[in-house]
Amino acid sequence: MIYWGGNPAECHPRHFTKYSLMQKGKFTPNGRKDRTMVLVDIRETPSAKAADLFLQIRPGKDFEMLSALRAIVKGQRVNEETVAETGLTVAQLQDLAAQMKAARFGIIFFGMGLSMTRGKHMNSAQILMLAAEMNAFTKFVAMPMRGHGNVTGADVVMRYTTGYPFGVNLCRGYPRFNPGEFSTVDLLVRGDNDACLVLGADPGATMPQPAIDHLARIPTITLDPKVTHTSRLSRVHITTAVTGISAPGTAYRMDEIPLPLRPALKSPYPTDEEVVRRIRQAVARRPAWLPGRNGKAAI
Amino acid sequence: MLRITGGKVYDPANNINGVIKDICIDGGKIVADVDGGRTIDATGMIVFPGGVDIHTHVAGGALNFARALTPENQRVAAKFMHTKTTRAGIGGPTPTTFATGYLYAGMGYTTVVEAAVPVLSAKHTHEELRDTPIVDKACMLLMANNEIMLDLLEKGETERAKDVVAWLMWAAKVYGIKAVNPGGVTAWKWGKDCKQLHDPVPGYGKVTPGQIIGSLAQIVDDLGLPHPMHLHCNNLGAPGNVTTTLETMKCLEGNRAHMAHLQFHAYGGDDWHTMRSEATQIADYFNAHPNLTCDAGAVLFGNSVTITADGPWQHLLFQLTGRKWGNLDVENETGCGIVPYTYKGSNLVNAVQWAVGLELLLLITDPWRIFLTTDHPNGACFWRYPEIIHLLMNADFRKERVKKLPAKALQRIVLAELDREYSLYEIAIITSAGPARALGMKQKGNLGVGADADVAIFNQNPDGEHMFRYPRYVIKAGEIAVEEGDIKNVHDGREFVVKPVYDEKIEDFLRPVFQQQYTMSFENYPVELERVHGLEIV
Repeated sequence: MIYWGGNPAECHPRHFTKYSLMQKGKFTPNGRKDRTMVLVDIRETPSAKAADLFLQIRPGKDFEMLSALRAIVKGQRVNEETVAETGLTVAQLQDLAAQMKAARFGIIFFGMGLSMTRGKHMNSAQILMLAAEMNAFTKFVAMPMRGHGNVTGADVVMRYTTGYPFGVNLCRGYPRFNPGEFSTVDLLVRGDNDACLVLGADPGATMPQPAIDHLARIPTITLDPKVTHTSRLSRVHITTAVTGISAPGTAYRMDEIPLPLRPALKSPYPTDEEVVRRIRQAVARRPAWLPGRNGKAAI
Repeated sequence: MLRITGGKVYDPANNINGVIKDICIDGGKIVADVDGGRTIDATGMIVFPGGVDIHTHVAGGALNFARALTPENQRVAAKFMHTKTTRAGIGGPTPTTFATGYLYAGMGYTTVVEAAVPVLSAKHTHEELRDTPIVDKACMLLMANNEIMLDLLEKGETERAKDVVAWLMWAAKVYGIKAVNPGGVTAWKWGKDCKQLHDPVPGYGKVTPGQIIGSLAQIVDDLGLPHPMHLHCNNLGAPGNVTTTLETMKCLEGNRAHMAHLQFHAYGGDDWHTMRSEATQIADYFNAHPNLTCDAGAVLFGNSVTITADGPWQHLLFQLTGRKWGNLDVENETGCGIVPYTYKGSNLVNAVQWAVGLELLLLITDPWRIFLTTDHPNGACFWRYPEIIHLLMNADFRKERVKKLPAKALQRIVLAELDREYSLYEIAIITSAGPARALGMKQKGNLGVGADADVAIFNQNPDGEHMFRYPRYVIKAGEIAVEEGDIKNVHDGREFVVKPVYDEKIEDFLRPVFQQQYTMSFENYPVELERVHGLEIV
């Protein structure tokens, strides 16, 4: 089991105990003792304590290390000096490759330390190729460690309704996809949109300053159970019930398995779904802005 | 109320072959007569029962994974505009849910069966089906690699296995049982496959794929399910797999079974260079064994995506093509692989595959036992069915196309020698009446009084492809859904779910096993009734 660029001990606290490291299974009756865990990261996080092997690499050198590892797995020669730049030695990588090949079932969990640092999606592609190629030797899979609550659920629903996971533009009446052009942060930084509905997110706390400035400039509406940084720069904040605590719903695990959420408490606030539905109904009552055939709305 | 008058009616379930008669509709059903209401003049048109797709992949975790994997396909696919009646969407090999409904209805199909659903992600499949409009739906549950079930078979506890299967079916809210590469998907969790029917499954001591096939078919028959076991055999796609397929059919003697996408299981030869069609051998056996039905799983040349629970096969396809590969392992239950694929007319293997699908459709003599499918999107996209219909109805056109295949391929196939042409009556059987009967859906696939008012009306045209691609009217549940290519009326379809009988005490056995082996709690496992939209319990 390899964690790469993630710190589950602090960021996904149930991952070790419920899903990955400690669970006893049919073929791993001793739980933790039947598994080997490797952590690859740029600093020794609390997750390193749980690891059998911790490999500290230099920041921004994931792509190089993954390339070298892929080459070693396939029995190709690697340049010692290039590998040394990653902060590790060829011998360390050879040892890692040997341990990976010896596994009965290997898995790589990769976090934002890999996917959001230098190299970005190229790093993700590289680690996915490593996992794919490992299957020539033993069973190996890779899975991203995602953040932000039900981000997987949003991704899943976007895919079956629009065909794309994120960065979707519906302005032409059909879905178009172009990350870097239609993704939220890019739209905001360029100032392309003239209104914004924020649902279950806090861009005011995490996005770059030009994006935040634009959110403050335009009518921004935030739906959130609590007052967030984004609420403070919004024209309207609507308090909603907390999904999973006082509102029902479905959340998707990182492996895209849906789980039903059953509320334990009642809330005086409406659910996100109810608010969005009522906004939609109100919008539908407005006359269409784009005339179509026979004077009826085209959209 | 609606009356369709003057059209030539093809209703094979009621032995009506091109007779001009009125079809009357009231309250979503076919009735003997109506007084008033709209009349459709169908003079010069043919009237079919709405199409039934017995095997397709249109919803679920695997398909949705494929959508994420192939944005390049979505970019070049047909676009669906957001209008007053329709939602925005995208066609292509993995259409969005709304587009799936419009595409099927736009082709005269009104019932579709999603052929691969794991219990663990069944909630998600039902969510997608809820957003698939117009058509009625049903699901098949993946069972042949379920570890709880295999453990019971290993111990010889078939009686308890029966209750477990029934409980899982109701937990997932499905219509039937699907077996994919029995044992092989479990083996894939060890990076292996099951190539031999009588060798133990890796990870098990005794249980073999042959035993799984036999036991599961028996369980399905004992439970009295309307549809027999829906089987994807071992060794899919491999040269020489005809022996496995014939052996599998022998394991099924005495039971009913539906052989899915038979085209992928009818190859001879020793490797990719010597691969040839064995459609004749398969058809001969199949014709003599009335306990079996099958669907074609035909291939058409062009771009597609392969999506199957057959994980080891997809790994091989990834190695063969060097294209993208997605792999999903579903804990304790099954797996799935996704690889984009392009069938090329110039490729020897693809040419043989193209021919085998058509050969099976032509060599299997009883149209009531072979149905039109492409195993969408594996062999081709479902919206290309009319191309296959044209190939079946016109032998001259077909022979012209055969001539374009690589010369080497011609020695490996028998298609050039087949002169059979499908009649409209037979097309109505393989696209509607036959699959409805095999599914045990009495209200579908026929235009008799009391049947669901699902009707497709086509302008009669010698060009079968054109005729079946553009229905003049499609009526679903008594409403005109499509008129001259426009989606007129969008309403939600129903979902058919079978509730088999089982001993409630089986939960006492399942709960501890489940808590030991699954990462989900037992209470969260079954699909809630309210999650299934338009539920109709059979």
